[in-house]
Amino acid sequence: MNNGQLRQFLALVRREVLEHPSLFIGAPAILGALLAIGSLWVLSMLPSEEIALGVEYLSILFDGLSPLQMAPMFMLLAVPFIIVLFVCGIVYLLNTLFQDRKDGSVLFWQSMPVSNLSTVLAKVVTLGAVVPVFYIATLFVLYIFTTIQLTILGFNYGVEVAGLGYMLGAAVVSLLLVYLSALAGTLWLLPSIGWILLFSAFARRTPLLWAIGVFILFGFLEDFVFGSQFLANWVESRSDPSRYLITEFSSILSRFFNYEMLFGVLVGAILIAGAVYMRRFID
Amino acid sequence: MSAIVEARNLSKHYGSFTALDSVDLQIPTGSISGLIGPNGAGKTTTLKALIGLCDVEGELIVAGRDPRQARHRLMRDVCFIADVGILPKWMRVKQALDFVESVHPHFDRKRAERFLSSTEIPAKKRIKELSKGMVTQLHLALVMAIDVKLLVLDEPTLGLDILYRKQFYDRLLNDYYDGQRTIIISTHQVEEIEDLLSHLIFIDRGKIVLDQLMSQLSENYVELIVDAESRNAAEALQPIYRRVQLGKQCFTYEGVPREELSKLGETLTPSVADLFVAKMRGGHHE
Repeated sequence: MNNGQLRQFLALVRREVLEHPSLFIGAPAILGALLAIGSLWVLSMLPSEEIALGVEYLSILFDGLSPLQMAPMFMLLAVPFIIVLFVCGIVYLLNTLFQDRKDGSVLFWQSMPVSNLSTVLAKVVTLGAVVPVFYIATLFVLYIFTTIQLTILGFNYGVEVAGLGYMLGAAVVSLLLVYLSALAGTLWLLPSIGWILLFSAFARRTPLLWAIGVFILFGFLEDFVFGSQFLANWVESRSDPSRYLITEFSSILSRFFNYEMLFGVLVGAILIAGAVYMRRFID
Repeated sequence: MSAIVEARNLSKHYGSFTALDSVDLQIPTGSISGLIGPNGAGKTTTLKALIGLCDVEGELIVAGRDPRQARHRLMRDVCFIADVGILPKWMRVKQALDFVESVHPHFDRKRAERFLSSTEIPAKKRIKELSKGMVTQLHLALVMAIDVKLLVLDEPTLGLDILYRKQFYDRLLNDYYDGQRTIIISTHQVEEIEDLLSHLIFIDRGKIVLDQLMSQLSENYVELIVDAESRNAAEALQPIYRRVQLGKQCFTYEGVPREELSKLGETLTPSVADLFVAKMRGGHHE
């Protein structure tokens, strides 16, 4: 990739972010704000004895742990963000190759010297590698808020929950693990991403119904013709978050490099190639 | 004269509907060509085929490339404006400039900004907040700042008021066209572009029914206005179209020498609009 191509690709990624600020920036910001306000509200409702017990419990839980060991506990706070990212990701994928055909702006995009391959790959990279950064940035703010909250509570009740530096260290490690999990999740779920993109590029209306309907049809056909449920089982096995969530650095290699992951990436790549092919003509 | 577009035997079918029927087309380099036809004639399909947005059968070369192969490379040399609504509505004007600057190697941002500075379009506004006329001005500013060989315009002024339409074509002619670039304009508002054109193509029901340089039009097409006594003689020369104008008979001929017709009455070169009606209603397709 030369400089011009890199510049073009970055412009495509930027376009995706600018086009979907509510999904990529608004959703995590609102979630973060809700969680922060929610935690303050809960604290205001709880009797001080229970808060004191909770703070003491946390101090025991974190006692003697290094930031690396504390990080998986901090990751619990990331779970709602991962769920929202998952939902927003599906909404984005369904619309991303459909909406511009619907509103006619595809003619503008196609009038630029940009290949369909670059366009579609930019969408996948945006979702898999760029959008998680926005979620993680919001999560980082929430971590700082929580750390300060815990420190103040500890100070109030005369308990040191964990050192401020330790908690911030754990937060940074946790963010790194969340980002790696997002990357691994993108690759693990690449068949689903490719499948949705395929119907986003194909459907004249309601890509969601097409994506679900055709899959169900294939499942029924498989069951009817071969009497097996390979497709349903395969999707079920790939829906297990424990296959791509990374909670410790030692599991990074095994998460990214295993036969199931590589097979999924291959299937995803074929489906994404199908979406690129669908995109070549607009009639 | 070399051709920037060469098409042979182009066909396109949508189920049982034939959108293009063995179309042969040559667009001379440096021309301003008008692709004129009624609604549903195949204009948009032809233009989409030229820029690789529509799969067609037949041979097609545009600016030295087959548009069906690697459209993105072709679009370095070709620009396209469809009707007014195709700019992404969520984008701000500045973002549109940023995007085109980043993806198009032949885009001159300063030139685009110069064009925009002569309009009332604010850089911070979203495209959905602009009027139709402003969107067209913006699109034209973007396109006029791109140095390409061929500009394809598909009903570019549809839905605009007369002031914006006039301004659009004035800018196109005065600020963009340099005699080297080729412009193809598709429209059914014939009168508006008549004076711009150097090449004229009529299309109807997927077939090319006229393909002429404007300079040859007066040699091949003549309009004859006759009194009642010359009517039978005029009818005998097989006009392609006849109409009554202010009580007089008016006939349009194709390929009949002007000298022969002038013996019967007053001869004129038909306007593009009159010729269009004659070819569409006359039913004498090539």
